[in-house]
Amino acid sequence: MPIFDQGYQHWSGQLAGHAWRWLAITRHGLRVALAGRATRLMLFVAVLPALLLAFVLAMWGLLEQKSDLITAIMPMMGFLDPAILAGPRPYRVEIWTISYSYFLRTETWLAMVLILFIGPNLISQDLRYNALPLYFSRPLRRIDYVLGKLGVIVALLGSVIIVPAIAAYALGIVFSLDITILRDTVRILLASVAYGVVISISAGLLILALSSLSRNSRYVALFWIGMWFVTSSVAGVLEAVNVEQRVHDAVRAATAGEAPSDEQAAAERDWRPLVSYTANLRHIGECMLGTDKAWEKLIKLQPKNTRQMSRLVVLGSQTPWYWSVAVLAALMVFSICILNFRIKSLDRLK
Amino acid sequence: MLFQLEDVTKTYGPVTALNQLSVAVPTGAIGLLGPNGSGKTTMIRALLGLIALESGSGSVLGMDIGRRQLDIRRDVGFAPEDECLFPHVVGIGFVAYAGELVGMRRTDALQRAHEVLDYVGLGEARYRKVESYSTGMKQRLKLASAIVHDPKLLVLDEPTNGMDPAGRQEVLDLTRDLAHNKGMSVLFSSHLLPDVEFVCDYVIVLGAGRLLAEGKIQELKQVHYQSFEVRLKADMGPFARRLAAVGCSVAEREDVLVVGIPDGQSPRLLWEAAAGEGEQIRYLRPQRSTLEEVFLDAVNNTGERG
Repeated sequence: MPIFDQGYQHWSGQLAGHAWRWLAITRHGLRVALAGRATRLMLFVAVLPALLLAFVLAMWGLLEQKSDLITAIMPMMGFLDPAILAGPRPYRVEIWTISYSYFLRTETWLAMVLILFIGPNLISQDLRYNALPLYFSRPLRRIDYVLGKLGVIVALLGSVIIVPAIAAYALGIVFSLDITILRDTVRILLASVAYGVVISISAGLLILALSSLSRNSRYVALFWIGMWFVTSSVAGVLEAVNVEQRVHDAVRAATAGEAPSDEQAAAERDWRPLVSYTANLRHIGECMLGTDKAWEKLIKLQPKNTRQMSRLVVLGSQTPWYWSVAVLAALMVFSICILNFRIKSLDRLK
Repeated sequence: MLFQLEDVTKTYGPVTALNQLSVAVPTGAIGLLGPNGSGKTTMIRALLGLIALESGSGSVLGMDIGRRQLDIRRDVGFAPEDECLFPHVVGIGFVAYAGELVGMRRTDALQRAHEVLDYVGLGEARYRKVESYSTGMKQRLKLASAIVHDPKLLVLDEPTNGMDPAGRQEVLDLTRDLAHNKGMSVLFSSHLLPDVEFVCDYVIVLGAGRLLAEGKIQELKQVHYQSFEVRLKADMGPFARRLAAVGCSVAEREDVLVVGIPDGQSPRLLWEAAAGEGEQIRYLRPQRSTLEEVFLDAVNNTGERG
């Protein structure tokens, strides 16, 4: 008989409750995702636009204060209207809004790439290695499993969209040295955070649904690329055809001496941008930020004859925001239905 | 009471997997026997609260299977039959993750994972990717992940499937040790009767979703006082014929004769027959049913009733 049995020992520690059990899945998913060098590199790249945003906001703060520090680089700021350079404070909200708009637009694109790296493996590998019985024979529900996997996407996208947006905001505040900036710009911060949440949940549910459709993560990656590139390309082609048609109609109307059609109303009824997944995301983001309104104010500084052209260049889709919300909501419901069908608890597993 | 089911019925379309099953099982090492499709796995899933039952009720460790499924799964360790892995992790990460899913803190789970991996003999392989493990190592890994949180009840579904003899014996030794020396109740489902007999004290036999037999193995393997196993020094043929002539039933099994003596007669008949043939009896003992016989009797009786 051994003096000390080094075999099995009982354990008398405390187990946590059920409410946060999904967090274990998220933590594990993050550990696995961050073990990949490519993912870490992609995360680093995705944070770079935030550095640029922080730099722009800091420079704007110095410009508002007319700091000596910025005098040296004033010649490089010729792209700004002289009226803005002369009195920057009235344009504070617009410049911040447009800066955040560019940042979020870039991050939307990078988020799609980041999801391409981490998303396909999330469920497809569990299906491939038959891991679901290991999950569901433990005190976990299907909702815990999906929440845990979704948490991986939300955490990673949050770290490249929401966290940098907040950090850049804090830096911008620090450099402005003006308490009223909080009142002016807090809406931008809230809109950025809300947009980060929308993109994380929408794209997260979508990639999870795609990931649950195949045991091969390469196929899932192809599905995702299709969802992203193909829908954008199709939307682009449809819009090009539409523009061609409208130009043709305008020429015909002018030739026939008819009244020109209402371009604004036509733009608001145009459903073609809705075909692109990322265009819908961007449209919601722009509406949250109020980017078009900010551009309109800056465009008014330009000569009248160039304003229309500028509008065409900088203003986004004119369809109502709730159309894009409806498209994304439908995609989310569809994703949840797929997940409900594909993530089976043990009563439906073989 | 370890668990009990009362009038439990579960159907999958036209197939009745559990048919008004009622069973009450004490703590200890429990063997779950039954032919393919007898409802073993469905019964395990019912006990873990993983399936909705058409009718009936039950409890595991005193917890209702209809209302406290998550609590049951917290107190039970389960190693499924199929090959299943958390992908892209090393052994230690696998077991620690299993602990975290039950609610252990990360540091506790890691410490405990080291202990149980040592216990199941995977200490040297703890930093290897689990995808590279052999079948036997994967079975032991599943066992380690099932006991990482020190469950009160360990449920093993066909734990020795596809294993070589040495690996199979290791898993059986570990399970027996847990059940008999560590105070953990075990529900051991298997087709392999020797495995069940090695590990368990109590057995449940299922067939067509019904309970065919249950009880302590030693009691089920009853002694037959009118039937004996006999081996002689020399040829057993004349001895067998002499016994048959006086009304005994005689059957040859391997190197022994199984002799059933008529009612009212005593084993003295055997000695007299041996003396009459001038033979020496080298081995004589009352016949005891094997677990295989118990199982086959239970299954066949159901077949006849059906």
